[in-house]
Amino acid sequence: MLQVKNIEKYYGNKNQVTKALDRVSFDVAAGEFIAIMGASGSGKTTLLNCISTIDTISAGSILLDGVDISGLSDRKLAKFRRERLGFVFQDFNLLDTLTIEENIGLTLSLNHQNPKNVQKQVEKIAHTLGITEILKKFPYQVSGGQKQRAACARAMVAKQSLLLADEPTGALDSKASKNLLEIMTQMNQKMKATILMVTHDAYSASYASRVLFLKDGRLFNELLKGTRPRPTFYHEILDVLAVLGGDISDVI
Amino acid sequence: MTLSKLSFRNAKRQTGDYLIYFTTIVLAAALLYAFNGLTFSSELLTLSKFMETLPMMIVFASIVVVCIFGWLVSYATGFMLSRRSRELGTYLLIGLEKKEVAHLFFLENLMVGGFAFLLGLLLGNFLYQVLRAILLALFSCPYHFTLAFSLKAAGLTFTYFTFIYLLALFKSRWHIHKMKIYDLIYFDRQNEHVIVKNSKSRQRLFTFSIILGIVGTILLLMENALIGILGAGCIILFLYIFFLTFASGVPAFFDRQPFRKYQKQNLLIYRTLTAKLGTMGIVMATIALLFTATLISQGTGLIFWGIFNARSADKYCFDLYADSERPEGIPSEYLDYIEQNISVEQSLLYCIYQRESNEFITYLQKNADYYPYNQKDMVIRYSDYQALRSIAGYPNVTLESGEYLIHCQRYLKNTLKNHQPVIHFGETTLSSAGIHTEPFMQNNYTTGNGHGFLLVVPDDAVSALAPHHFSYAANTTAPVTEEQYEALDTIRNRVCENIDELYDSLHTEANEKATVASMTAISIFPLYFLAFALTMTAATILTIQQLAECRHYQTQYKLLQKLGMDRREMAKTLRTQFSIYYTLPAVPPLFISIPFLLHTANATEPGIMVGAFSPAMIILNTLLLFFFIYAIYILMAYTTLKRNVLPENL
Repeated sequence: MLQVKNIEKYYGNKNQVTKALDRVSFDVAAGEFIAIMGASGSGKTTLLNCISTIDTISAGSILLDGVDISGLSDRKLAKFRRERLGFVFQDFNLLDTLTIEENIGLTLSLNHQNPKNVQKQVEKIAHTLGITEILKKFPYQVSGGQKQRAACARAMVAKQSLLLADEPTGALDSKASKNLLEIMTQMNQKMKATILMVTHDAYSASYASRVLFLKDGRLFNELLKGTRPRPTFYHEILDVLAVLGGDISDVI
Repeated sequence: MTLSKLSFRNAKRQTGDYLIYFTTIVLAAALLYAFNGLTFSSELLTLSKFMETLPMMIVFASIVVVCIFGWLVSYATGFMLSRRSRELGTYLLIGLEKKEVAHLFFLENLMVGGFAFLLGLLLGNFLYQVLRAILLALFSCPYHFTLAFSLKAAGLTFTYFTFIYLLALFKSRWHIHKMKIYDLIYFDRQNEHVIVKNSKSRQRLFTFSIILGIVGTILLLMENALIGILGAGCIILFLYIFFLTFASGVPAFFDRQPFRKYQKQNLLIYRTLTAKLGTMGIVMATIALLFTATLISQGTGLIFWGIFNARSADKYCFDLYADSERPEGIPSEYLDYIEQNISVEQSLLYCIYQRESNEFITYLQKNADYYPYNQKDMVIRYSDYQALRSIAGYPNVTLESGEYLIHCQRYLKNTLKNHQPVIHFGETTLSSAGIHTEPFMQNNYTTGNGHGFLLVVPDDAVSALAPHHFSYAANTTAPVTEEQYEALDTIRNRVCENIDELYDSLHTEANEKATVASMTAISIFPLYFLAFALTMTAATILTIQQLAECRHYQTQYKLLQKLGMDRREMAKTLRTQFSIYYTLPAVPPLFISIPFLLHTANATEPGIMVGAFSPAMIILNTLLLFFFIYAIYILMAYTTLKRNVLPENL
């Protein structure tokens, strides 16, 4: 579904160049749940930004369903983002002035869907994610966990094919984190959502079916969950992180 | 870092963040200084004796303007206080005392105010020169640039500014004293609640407000001071209830038809409008009130100008004119004085006769906006008419025997074109030879050269007619001075002392011009002073509110971009949000002020508000001037907003 081929990303000017991504390549199959891990500054967010077309790449190519997204015009990129991608951010990024229902419906509105069906679609996904009772509330009236579930609903409501999550549990307590990760798993398994999640939390990563490790902008390792139970997978991730050399406080 | 250093840094930032507000404060100081400068200028106040009342009018307007600017500064400091609540909360959190925070805030506002005051004085000097040039031009005096700094004007401006700032700072001090750290830190996280929740009472209130608005506007037109005040009260109530119920009505509308909010960009636009319902409603109503006052001030100023101009233009035609209804003719006292003191080039003593018929008066009464001050149609001999045309500097006209001419005010021409009957004077029958409309002293009530119109007939035709009054007209080698007019006026007071209901007319071109110039200065300067202050205040408050939302807009549009909203759609949404915000408070004032101005312009005597001062032109010019100033603020706000919210690289 998604092919990342030898992408590179440089920042800076002639005199001082910082290489944020260095020949990164990997494939994502439809219905996969992938976590990208690495210490701070390893290039995880840059990679996610490039895939989400918010940032441009310096070399290489990113193909989604065979289409090279790095060559699209601004208008096509905008269309691509609203139709194909769903976002979940660490700080929720819900609009304060809109109710939860409107925040979710906004994506459908941007996709020019029939206004009469918007409410029904929002109610349906809200029911699946267990946030029906907060639909009429404003973001400041609900908890962090509920906000993040609303963000997930927004990322999925227009049947986007790829959900990009940037540290989705970063601002949540452990209970809310667990709840959110279970919901994401449910979205992946039942709704067949393809998820690409950036995290530096090993516990969050253990919910994925595959974990990619980045170090200094390069792909360092890859772990497949297979049929192993999640706690075993979690420990394996920790082992890789130990080898990776990141500060342990960074990753747990 | 010391407190004063921190204040200085904050003041610098405040000047940058609220540039438009700062600019308005500078302009406020400039306006106050420039107008105060007029009140202390002996050069300008001695232009005419009528100018003696100018200082009083300016001081009166200044008091209102100071109150308006006082409210602006008070509002803006209060607004900044709330926008910076988190920062101020942090000061308290790290152990600063409330007294110190208040002191910090006081210092930085003092710096901003002081700096604005100094800049304002500089700009005010320039503005003063502009006003001086306008005044001198009104009096037809030559303008020479002379750099003059009035210490008295600066002192008065300083006093006004101290009052404005002390008021605002006492208010903010009280605010800071009442603050709680928690409230400060979490101040901006909440949306405001709907003011009028019950849908039925909201609808009733909304309808009631519209009725109040209509009733208020009608009462304003009743030409009665007390009823007018009642009307103004109704309009104030209308604006506040209208905007509060309107703001509350928007969410109710979308609650009833939820799908509508998902159409196009409705959702974002509607939520931006309703996020600050209470504040927005009150701000919008206040702004609308200020705009109404602005439009009325500007329009009334133009109406006054039109009245003075038109009334005098008619009298400008002769350098010197006098008339009297005494049967013995013009008293010799006037003529003796003129002969001894005024160098006359050409003069004429003549008589205005009255016909036995009033057919022209009756016709005009029926077909034009004409009030008959005379019982019969007025008539002049052709030879006198020719001489008067020569004195006034108009080209000669010829009148064949058996013909008559009509000389009327311009506004009556079209009506009289349809009424040029054959007229009879005893045995003589005359047919019309045309109509002339040059200014001809036809604006007096019963005297002058006929009220509104005059029939010019061959000399022999008047032999059987009775004289109505006697007149004297002259052109002089030099303009008749104000002193000479004063002397003639003294003679008039003496000769008219014992005559009941008779008062001789006396006009000199120079005196008319000085009167018009003074009246224009006395009425229009304060009105426009007020109008500028009102527009600037209202536009600044709107802009402060709008730009303060910049950060909120930035977050919103960054997210929308990530969610895949097209840039063109984003720009369109921003434009719509922006235009609704700036259009809403300008609409009700149009519905109130346009009927008011039309009515006032039409309430003057006929023939006055014509041409460039016709009611339609007055409305057009008022709107043009108002929207010109408003557009400058809108443009500044929009470019700043767009640059911050939708930068090129977004």
